Amino acid sequence: MNEKITQMLFNVLDELNQLRPREEHLAKELGTPLAGDFGRLDSAALINLIVLTEEKSAQELGRPILLTDDRTMSQINTVFRTVGSLADYIHLLLNEKRDG
Amino acid sequence: MEIKTFTVADLGLALLSEDFWLTKTLPITKQRALSICHNPRAEKDDPALVVAYQDNLVVGYLGILPDKVFFNNADHKLGWLTGWWVDPCLATKGVGAILLYKALNAYRDRVGVSGGSKEARNVLHASQKFVTLAPLKGLDIRFRFNATRAILRKFPWMKLFRVGFKIADVMLDEIVNLRRFFWERRTHIRQRLTFEYISSIDAETGRFIERHHQHDLTRKGKADLDWIMTYPWIVSAPQKDSASRRYYFSSISARFFYLGVKVFEQNNGMVGFLMLSMRNDRMRVVYSHFESRHAPSIAAAAVYQALAMDVSTLSLYDERLVKSVAGLRCPFWSTQSVSRGFFLSKAFADSPVADCRLHGGDGDFAFY
Repeated sequence: MNEKITQMLFNVLDELNQLRPREEHLAKELGTPLAGDFGRLDSAALINLIVLTEEKSAQELGRPILLTDDRTMSQINTVFRTVGSLADYIHLLLNEKRDG
Repeated sequence: MEIKTFTVADLGLALLSEDFWLTKTLPITKQRALSICHNPRAEKDDPALVVAYQDNLVVGYLGILPDKVFFNNADHKLGWLTGWWVDPCLATKGVGAILLYKALNAYRDRVGVSGGSKEARNVLHASQKFVTLAPLKGLDIRFRFNATRAILRKFPWMKLFRVGFKIADVMLDEIVNLRRFFWERRTHIRQRLTFEYISSIDAETGRFIERHHQHDLTRKGKADLDWIMTYPWIVSAPQKDSASRRYYFSSISARFFYLGVKVFEQNNGMVGFLMLSMRNDRMRVVYSHFESRHAPSIAAAAVYQALAMDVSTLSLYDERLVKSVAGLRCPFWSTQSVSRGFFLSKAFADSPVADCRLHGGDGDFAFY
């Protein structure tokens, strides 16, 4: 599942990069910073990322997730620190859903 | 980072505390907080302000104005987003996103936005949570030439000739005054129309509004307009005070007030009501009620009031009034088309909101 989540996020980055100038493209690596101290996404770009991730999760993983609830928002800089931290959080959400 | 959501009741308590107002950046002014607390459409537990703090400093905030919209014979609660600010140093920390989603979650996705900066509109667009309503197409009518201001803004080095420009302005204004004199004589406006000024909505006006606002999206009635007139967000003051320097949105103007104008025709009785907001040398018609057949009279009434109050610009946002202006042949220098945009969250997308009438004061526009 981890690999599927990572691939899904890389596809999200592909789409996000189409909206950004070449010099601001985000590398398809788990360590790529998103939001937070070293983040490169402003509010509009972060919201784009959130919307695209929710869409792609439903399409590619077959499992809808919600990244705009108060729980996620209260830890936004942890969840969206890097591509890897976002992948871990999605993994957690999907496991919770399965267990729940 | 800590996010705090303040309800209407919390803002009431904040008004009583001293600590809330000590922060380097203010997330709201006392004037606005007082206004929100008296909003007749707000419940005590309605969220009214979301603030982001970092190390006890305010690093972002988003105000929410509780309101109701009306369609399908029912009222529906919503919050208008207003006064959205994020510390530019924290642009990549997701503060704007947190504030937006907190507000959306607090109002179960039933949120509206009136106007907004380009950045704010980008964020709304990115969220895919909003639909754009057809914008209000209005008109700015310029009565004063204001050569001094226009020239010095473009060529500040010409300050040396300021006195000359001022004299030219006075002379050009006299031309308008002369044309105004002849316009009033030609149209017999003083014989045809009479006016009554009100600072709060009286019973007659209340009944008149009730008869005319049935197709309005927000259906502002007596209590709502009284509240807007009694609790403005902008204070008339000669200069900025310490609070307004710590708040990033308008809170002080040299001249700001509201005025209700009842319009009577000689043989028809009351034919219209205008709620005007006056800010410095600009007059805006924020709410207007009348039957379409009386539009030319109401447009003439608005122009007459603007000339009587010696304003530079009159802004109209009612399509019928805008159309009527051309036929008035009134004394102005120029006109410019303007528009006011509104966004509603997609929760309203299937509702017949597009058929409803919007006013120039809807959302938070009435307060600026």
